[in-house]
Amino acid sequence: MPSDKDWFDRFVIGLPERRLFKFLAARILVPFWAWWTPVKPLPGGPHPSAQPGDNLQCMMNLIMPLKDKSAVGRAKAAGAIAANKDQIYAGLNNVGTVHFARFVIVGDNICMFSVYDGDFTNYIRDFIATIGSVFNAVVELVEGGEDVIPCEHNAEAFIEWVHARDLYQVPDTATGVLRDQEALKGDKAASGDDDLDLLPRRLTLQLHANPNVSLGSGYRAYPGYSAAQIRKQLGIGW
Amino acid sequence: MDDSSVAERLVDAVESLSTDHKRGTRPIHTIGVGVDGYFQPSEAARSYCKAEHFQRPCVRASVRFSNGSGSPVQHDGWSDVRGMATRFHLSDGSATDLIAMTLPEFFVPTVDQFFEFARTAKPKPVRRESPWQKILDMLQLKIPRRNPPPGQKESPDAGAKSFADRHRFAQLAVVQTDTIGAPVSYARAAYHAVHTFIVTAPDGVRRPVRFSWQPVAGVCNTKATATAVDNYLRQELEERLGRWPARFMLMMTIGEAGDALDDPTQPWPAKRVRVVMGTLTLKNVAADQVAAAERISFNPCRLVPGIEVSEDPILRARRNVYEVSCQRRNGIPCPFNGS
Repeated sequence: MPSDKDWFDRFVIGLPERRLFKFLAARILVPFWAWWTPVKPLPGGPHPSAQPGDNLQCMMNLIMPLKDKSAVGRAKAAGAIAANKDQIYAGLNNVGTVHFARFVIVGDNICMFSVYDGDFTNYIRDFIATIGSVFNAVVELVEGGEDVIPCEHNAEAFIEWVHARDLYQVPDTATGVLRDQEALKGDKAASGDDDLDLLPRRLTLQLHANPNVSLGSGYRAYPGYSAAQIRKQLGIGW
Repeated sequence: MDDSSVAERLVDAVESLSTDHKRGTRPIHTIGVGVDGYFQPSEAARSYCKAEHFQRPCVRASVRFSNGSGSPVQHDGWSDVRGMATRFHLSDGSATDLIAMTLPEFFVPTVDQFFEFARTAKPKPVRRESPWQKILDMLQLKIPRRNPPPGQKESPDAGAKSFADRHRFAQLAVVQTDTIGAPVSYARAAYHAVHTFIVTAPDGVRRPVRFSWQPVAGVCNTKATATAVDNYLRQELEERLGRWPARFMLMMTIGEAGDALDDPTQPWPAKRVRVVMGTLTLKNVAADQVAAAERISFNPCRLVPGIEVSEDPILRARRNVYEVSCQRRNGIPCPFNGS
């Protein structure tokens, strides 16, 4: 027969699903631990490439907050993409290393998600060299965009600007975020005096510092192949 | 110290991970079920590996699914690693094995570290965390410890965690083990061979690879909050195969220079080339379970021309460990193919 102790235990196990606890966690516990044990936001973009295969099918998840946070602002952004679709596609064709690219509006952000081969800075430099003048129409609608317009004449600043808005890519493995945080602090030790029970807190605080992230490196149907190899194999050229 | 002595000590160490281990049974993965089936390689497989089972249209296969525990008492519903050992029967009467488990990475990279891990992870009495301690954990943004399932008196989890706190290479496997759960079916789990092997293509090109089985029926675990059921996996498999065969795709990931080729604790990046090597079809639970699940002996180093072991010291040590274990339980000795 269940005792009072069992009842209390079941009550406690169910606490995280209760509204009051969720409120306390979001408004008090997370801010307290973020203040007591500060966590630096991990940088966006792909992890450093070590092997040739790491340079293939890289992700860019660019989140750009719109200046005008209303339906009118969102419509302007949608209009800018629609009006410049041919120029953007032609530019991406000329870059040549892009597998997929798409624009998405989420909340009051215009987002560009793409999968490309090669180095990030080269990708952005090529991209902006080919469609910079068109991309200005998008960038001018975005907070901080005026700092890098005209993009085609501010390539280095634009690369930095994009990098700052590219999402942190959480590693595929459960403990990968710990390794990234250690690397950010210059800690490359194989062994330490860790407390693995703190993994949920470390992840929570990273997501507090870095609210938008990309989860894992993503599924790939044909990993390890460049856009050029796929085109060649399929006989569709360029 | 010679290899056989190391193997004896390793089997002792593995046996020590279960305090109720019964002499004459497997030291881990003790409870299992044997299944009959066949393997058909893909078109692509033929150009990547010259081993016979990737060149012929179809070979007979024997599979043993198992719970990870070394306890002779069946607890299908406990959160535990599961095993899938596959034997490919070849035309000349020889065979080759592929041993996989639901844990994608292993705990340690070397034999010496395994001894330390086994010492640290010796089962200790399970202490149910008090509600007050659970609240304290929540306040610290930690996840409170799950209550042990009914009947569980001891567990290696606390020792394994303490080992992982000191050795970062073990952290991934320990976290994965902690959250691994129980599959609704042996046919609804993904199994990983963990180690790196070297495969040779018909044109002589050698590649470092890792294998894994992906269930065509998809991966599905039981609800973590549901009361654990002790005995359902064999019956579920019998019922499932009575209705329709179950299938697994054999995936082969190709490593690159610089990847962890000799370290089973380290995952490879998701961007590595991945090849579908074939499909395993499971037809029925074997009629003779003594032969198909108990006396049969697998060995991850039982290979054929076209597949070799890598420099991974854990993989290399497993050859003798499996032989010693087989002798101790009077299993059918594992004949190596002329090696």
